[in-house]
Amino acid sequence: MSEKLIPLAELRERKAQPVRPNPEEAPRPDLREELFELEARGELIVQRVPEPYVEVTTKFGRTKKVPIDHLWHHKSCGQCGHIPGYTTSILWLNRQFGIDYVDPTDQTSCTGWNYYASATSNAVAQLLVMCRNFAAAYETGYYPLIHCGTSYGHYKELREQLVHHKELRDQVRRVLDKLGKPLVVPEEIVHYSEWVHVMRHRIAERQVVDMRNITACVHPACHYYKIVAEDAIYDPDIYGGQRTATVTALLQALGINVADYSTWFDCCGFGFRHILVQRDFTRSFAVLRKIEVMKDEANPDMTVTHDTGCVTTLDKSQFAAKAHQRRVGVPVLADSQVAALAMGAHPFRVLQLHWHSTDWRPLLEKLGIDWQRHWAEFEEDLAAIERGEKPGLTWEDAEQPILTR
Amino acid sequence: MRENGLPVLVIGGGPGGLEAARTVAALGTPVVLVERRHRLGGTPDAEHYAKLTHHFRDAEEALGELIAAVTSQPLVEVLTRSEVTACEGEVGNFRVAIRTPEGTQERTVGAIIVATGFQHFDPGRETQLYNYYSFPDVVTLSDMEAMLKAHQVVRPSNGQPPERVAFIQCVGSRDRQIGNEFCSKVCCGIASKQAIEIKQQLPNARVFIFYIDMRMYGYWENELYWPAQEQYKVNYVKGIVSEILPKGDRLLIRGEDTTMGRPMEITVDLVVLSVGMEPSSGTRQMARLLGIAQNKYGYIEAGGPSGLDPVATSRPGIFVVGAAARPADLDDTFATAGLAAARAVAVLRQAAVAAD
Amino acid sequence: MSVATWSPTKAGQRYADVAEETKRQLFEEVKSDPRYPDFLYGCYECGICVSACPSARFYDFSPRVIAQALAREDIDRFYEILMEDIWNCAQCFSCVRCPRGNNPGGLVTLMREVAVRHGLEQAQQALQGYSRVIYKIMLKGNQVSPDMLQPDFFPDWGPWVREFSRNMSAWRKAIPVDTLRNVTDAAWRTDEKTLRELYTIWFETGNMEVIREVDEGLYELLVEIMEEELEAAS
Repeated sequence: MSEKLIPLAELRERKAQPVRPNPEEAPRPDLREELFELEARGELIVQRVPEPYVEVTTKFGRTKKVPIDHLWHHKSCGQCGHIPGYTTSILWLNRQFGIDYVDPTDQTSCTGWNYYASATSNAVAQLLVMCRNFAAAYETGYYPLIHCGTSYGHYKELREQLVHHKELRDQVRRVLDKLGKPLVVPEEIVHYSEWVHVMRHRIAERQVVDMRNITACVHPACHYYKIVAEDAIYDPDIYGGQRTATVTALLQALGINVADYSTWFDCCGFGFRHILVQRDFTRSFAVLRKIEVMKDEANPDMTVTHDTGCVTTLDKSQFAAKAHQRRVGVPVLADSQVAALAMGAHPFRVLQLHWHSTDWRPLLEKLGIDWQRHWAEFEEDLAAIERGEKPGLTWEDAEQPILTR
Repeated sequence: MRENGLPVLVIGGGPGGLEAARTVAALGTPVVLVERRHRLGGTPDAEHYAKLTHHFRDAEEALGELIAAVTSQPLVEVLTRSEVTACEGEVGNFRVAIRTPEGTQERTVGAIIVATGFQHFDPGRETQLYNYYSFPDVVTLSDMEAMLKAHQVVRPSNGQPPERVAFIQCVGSRDRQIGNEFCSKVCCGIASKQAIEIKQQLPNARVFIFYIDMRMYGYWENELYWPAQEQYKVNYVKGIVSEILPKGDRLLIRGEDTTMGRPMEITVDLVVLSVGMEPSSGTRQMARLLGIAQNKYGYIEAGGPSGLDPVATSRPGIFVVGAAARPADLDDTFATAGLAAARAVAVLRQAAVAAD
Repeated sequence: MSVATWSPTKAGQRYADVAEETKRQLFEEVKSDPRYPDFLYGCYECGICVSACPSARFYDFSPRVIAQALAREDIDRFYEILMEDIWNCAQCFSCVRCPRGNNPGGLVTLMREVAVRHGLEQAQQALQGYSRVIYKIMLKGNQVSPDMLQPDFFPDWGPWVREFSRNMSAWRKAIPVDTLRNVTDAAWRTDEKTLRELYTIWFETGNMEVIREVDEGLYELLVEIMEEELEAAS
C-alpha cells in the first residue's frame, strides 16, 4: 500500500485552491428573503436595486447586487465636516462616469457615531433615524449609497433588529405614520467602497497616474466587515477569499503593491467616544498597533482605508506620537481618493489634501505629481473667492482631470 | 437459520465498511462491497494517516490487516472505482444499480449498510482568521498526518524543521456562525497524539495546543493527555487563537490566555489547525439516493424510533455506520459496523422466514 | 452579597455600593431589552473575543468577563462592570467573531443605555466634555462640524488644527460639493423640514428624556430650540 509521498507538493496544490463557499450550505437564512416576506405581508416596502447593477459574492457565497447608477448619496458627517475631500472624491468619481445621482439636503447623519460613543439614544430612535433617511431616498426614486463605514455597519445591524423584532417594527411604524412616511428598507445596504470595487476596472481603464512604484497597506474598517459579517464582499481571487476583498481589489487593479502586516485585522482605535474624550487610547492604539507595525514591517508609501473614523484616527493620531519619537509618518487616504488621484483628480480641489494632517507630500512627489504647482492653483482659487469673483469652488472648476493620457 | 440467498450491500470501503463486510461474511452471509476510490482503506488511506491513537499503531499496517481480512474472504465481492447510482425496492429486496469500470450492473440485495464516512472541514470557511490558503506554514491535521507518515515534519515555506508548533482546536466545529454546532470528538485526541509524534521526531521543538476544552474521553486521559504534558512537555493553553498573521518570516498568532486573564501573542513556525468532521460528499449523495433522512448538519439521521439504535436509519433495511451518522472515532466506527452487520444479517433471515 | 457572586467585588472602592435589589433591577432592565437574546447565547469562555478586542490590550477590560457575568446572572459583577468597564469598549464589534454568536459589544451598548437612562454618575463622568457633540447631533443631525475643529478641543492633532481654524471660512468655500460649500456650523446643508422630522423622532422615542439625565442644562436649551422650530412650522 505504500507509495512515495510528497506531502509538501500535495499540500501546496491543495492550498492553491481559493475558498468558494456554497451558498446552499450557508449557516443562516438569507435576511433579504425575510425582508421580502415582510413586504408580501404588507409590513414594509423593499426598495429594489435599480439596473444597471453588478453582482458580487459575499462571505457565504451569496450574491449581492451593487447598483452603478441612480444613486442617493447618504453622506457621512465626519467626512463632510472634517475630511471633505473624501466626499468630494466619491462624487467626482460619479461625475467622471456620468452617473445620475442625488446629493440630498433631506438627509441626517445615521447618528451611529453618537450612539456608539454615548448610548444617549435607544433602539427605536436609531431605527427611526435610519428609516427616515431610507424613506427620504425612496421618495426621490434614487437608491441610497452609504458613505460611512459606521453608518453601513449600524444600518446592517438595525436591519436585522427590524426584521427580527415585531415590537420594534410596530413602534417605528407608529412614528413614521406621524411623519407621513412609509416604512422602507432597501433590498441591499450598499457601501460606497462596494461601488468603487465594482467600478475598479473602469477606473483602471482611465488611470493616468502610474502607481506601480507605490506600496500601500490596507486597513479594512471594523464596521464594514465585522458587523453582520456575512454581508461584505469576498472574492476567491483576493486573499483566496479569506479576507474581505474591498479596497485591496481596487488597489491591485490600479497596479499598487499591497503589503501585508501583522495587525491587519486590528481596529484602528477610533473608539467613537475615545477619539473625542479619551484620546490617549485612540492615538496610542492607532500608532502602536497600526502605523508603527505597518512602518516596521512594510514601510508603505500610504495606508488606504474606506471609513470616516479610520481615516480620521489614523491620519490625526500621528502628530502627537512624533513628540515621543514613535515611528510614524504614513499618509492616510480613502480608497475613493486614491481612485480619483489615479484618474488625475486635482489633489486640492478634489482630494482636499490640505485637510489631512499626516504629510502627503512625499507620496505625491513619488507619484510625480507637482503638488506645489497645484497648491498655487488652489491658492489662486482661494484668492479669487476672497476677491468676490466667485462665491466658491464649483464642479466646473474641479471636474477636469489635471493629467490626461 | 436459512437466508434468502441475497447479499448485503456495503457502501464504502473505509474502516467502517471493511469491518461491516468482514462481520457479515463471518456470519456466513455474502457481501458486495462498493468503493468509489481505486482501492480500499477510506480516509485513513486517502489522507495518509501515520499512527492511530490505539497504542500508536501504524495506520497503514493496521488498515492493511483489516483489508486483508476482507479481500481474503470468499464471501465478499469487492468492487473498487465503483458507485451506487440507483436504488429501488424495500427491505429484503433492494434493486440497486452499480456503475463499475466495466459497465453498470443491476444487483438485488437484502439489506444495505452505508459506511461513506466523513470529510475534514475546509479551513477556508472558518470564522476565525487563520488564512490557511494564504500562508504555507498553516496546515491541517490531515496535512500533518501526511508529514508524520513521511517523517518529514517541516515548514512548507522553507522545508526546515519547525522550532515552535501550535495546534488550534475546534476549527470548524462548535461554531454557530459556520453551522457545525457539534463537537467533532476526535480532534483533541488526534492533536495530542500528533503533538507527541512531533516531539518524538523533533525533541527540541516546543509544541502548544490552544483549546476551549480538552475532550480526552476514557483512556485518552491517561494514554495521551498525561504523557503529552508530563513526558513530552506539550503546553496546553486554555484560550483559542483568533488570528494568524505574518511577522517577518514566522507566523504571529493571537489569542487570550484565559486562565491568566490577558491577551497573548506569540510567534511560531508552524500552525496545525485541528479541523473537524463534516459529512462526506459520498454520505450526502447516498443519503439522497437512498431516500434516507439527514439531520440539519447533513449527517445521516440515526437512532430509530427509540433514539437508542445507533445504526438505524429512516428506512428499514438500511443501516448507517460510523462517521456517516455523527462525528465518530475508530471505536465508534467498529462498534457500529459490527452492530449494523448483525442487524443486516437478521433482516435477511427474517425475510427468508417471511417468504416461507 | 448575592449568592451568584464567586469573585470578590470591588464595590466600595471607586463608587458606593448599592442595595442588591437596585442591582437586580438594573440587570433585569438590560435582560429585558428585545435585543438581549440576540446578543447572548452560551459562553465557552474561550477568549476569542478578548483576543480580538482593542480595549483589552490597553485597559483591564474583558468582553469575555462581560459575557460570562451576564450569562451567570452575577449581579454584583454586573454592577461592577456597569460602574467601571463599559465606557472602555471601543464598539468595534471585533468580538462578534464569537463561535457561539454572542455580541459582547452589543451587551455593552445595552448596559450603556441603561446607565445613561438612569443618570448613573459613571455615565455622566464618562460623557463629560461630550456636551458639544450632543448639542450638534440633536440639533443639526450631524456629530461633527467644521466649527468644532478648534485648537482647544483637539490640541493633540497638531498645528494643522490651528492652520485650519484660521482658514476655515475660506477653505469651506473651496469645496465643489453643493451641500458642503460654505457650510461651517454643520457637516452639510440640511433642510429645515428634515431637522423638524428629526426633532419629532427625538421627542416621540423618549430620547430627550435620556439627554436630560446626561446634562439638564443642555436638555433645556435643546428642548427650547426644538419646540420653537416645531411650533413655527405648524
